[in-house]
Amino acid sequence: MDKPQPLGFGLGLRPVYYHDILSTKPPVDWFEVISENFMVPGGRPLAMLEKIRSTYPIVMHGVSLSIASTAPLNYDYLKSLKALATRFEPRWVSDHLCWTGVHGLNLHDLLPIPFTSEALRLVVERVARVQDFLGRRLVLENVSSYVTFAESEMDEWTFVGEVAERADCWLLLDINNVFVSSFNHGFDEFTYLNSIPANRVVQFHLAGHSEAGTHKIDTHDEPICEDVWSLYTRACLKFGNISTMIERDDKFPPFADLLAELERARITAKVALRQTDGAAA
Amino acid sequence: MTLAAIQAAFQAGILNGERAVLDLLRDSQKTDRATLFAVYADGYRARLAEYICNDFPVLREHLGEDAFGCLVEEYVVATQSHHPNARWYGRRLPDFMSESAAWRENREAIDLARFERALSDAFDAPDAAVASISSLQAIPQEAWPRLTFDLHPSVSVLDLAEGTLRLYEALSNDDEPLAPSQGQETVVIWRKDNEIFFRSCLEDERLALFEIRERTEFGDICSLLEFREKRADLTGQLAEYVSQWFTDGLLARVSIGGATSRPPTCRS
Repeated sequence: MDKPQPLGFGLGLRPVYYHDILSTKPPVDWFEVISENFMVPGGRPLAMLEKIRSTYPIVMHGVSLSIASTAPLNYDYLKSLKALATRFEPRWVSDHLCWTGVHGLNLHDLLPIPFTSEALRLVVERVARVQDFLGRRLVLENVSSYVTFAESEMDEWTFVGEVAERADCWLLLDINNVFVSSFNHGFDEFTYLNSIPANRVVQFHLAGHSEAGTHKIDTHDEPICEDVWSLYTRACLKFGNISTMIERDDKFPPFADLLAELERARITAKVALRQTDGAAA
Repeated sequence: MTLAAIQAAFQAGILNGERAVLDLLRDSQKTDRATLFAVYADGYRARLAEYICNDFPVLREHLGEDAFGCLVEEYVVATQSHHPNARWYGRRLPDFMSESAAWRENREAIDLARFERALSDAFDAPDAAVASISSLQAIPQEAWPRLTFDLHPSVSVLDLAEGTLRLYEALSNDDEPLAPSQGQETVVIWRKDNEIFFRSCLEDERLALFEIRERTEFGDICSLLEFREKRADLTGQLAEYVSQWFTDGLLARVSIGGATSRPPTCRS
């Protein structure tokens, strides 16, 4: 089981930054694109992606796979996803460990799963079918959640790890989502990190969130907070050299601010990796 | 309880405010489950509303925050998303307005919405190369009556209330808008080099563009226009239109005899 080579430090590709990226060719190692934004017939989005792809590696990150839904898999969607992947050759294709709707609807949200053995079986079986269809291993991301289910039979980290092992897929560990969910549900974020199988993690997400007093919401509209930076250090110490990217989806700052955040991620990881190398020597 | 039943209850809680889902959830240490579930229920409506705001900024400007807010709320309640891509969620807004008792009389708002939807459609319509006038020059002149043309996939031709275009431009430029009048205007919308263009066109050009889309041959379109105008020799006029279409980038392909020839028809 060979993990894909680490890509370094990337950013989410958003239209508001197309001009900055194309005109300055910034020192970003790779870009993550929202798959659905490019599952369109033609026009500017695809033209921009062609240009950026000619200079940078990309990964595709979807929001509508709905891998944990009890609704049938949407093969029209999967065909479009596969066609996009064939055209742009991303290093990997990821989506979320969640569901987005049943009964033919899409609620355009990353909805939470009860962590039951039934859900585990369903997700594992669907991941296998999706991987067979796409002809590649899928990367699944842990989501932020705001509710927990009385039916849950295991911890989230146990569920996530079991999905990865049984379905033989990769994991995208969203550090901010671990932090947000740990606050919302009162679990220990370090226990979460320590329980995730290191050999499955190929990517980290970093992002900001918003505060709602009794809970935090994963809004990607703020800078990364200090607690998440600390957790990222811990993640680097545990998981080693992992492709890292910053998500920003609202209240877009100047591109230079994102580059500065990315530089901080680079330095944080470098220091952590030096520490682990030193300990190993 | 099965996962399917849990997901059905969760979705019903978001869409219809059904409270059965709350029995399936736990309170957190800091707050109650209803407050936490509201993150999903409120987020759903806010997200769909945001898609509409993004797709119809000039309609929003035209109606004002209160009226536009009411429209969006009505649409979100009435319209669920069936598509994995949120890009298509707002496509039915103009049809929804035409079917709604509250909006169907507001033709200027409906036509503004139709126009903005057409701009969005042109933005990511399928790609195709644009034909150049040299492709026409390569065809012997005696074959021109049998020419057919393929419009670029981004081209749409819309009949709107007269003044809709002026209203759109005024609102976009923060100028004083004038209300559309009772007449009709036709607008051509297309994409060239990934930029969106539009302009109004006269009745003859409108008719010619509709016939082009039907793959009617050039000679038949000339006869049709001459019959309609009760004038002879409108070939020169039509040639000017064709020249303009090449310049604009409306044409994707020129061919000879691409369609079954049929007698000219008269449109009222």
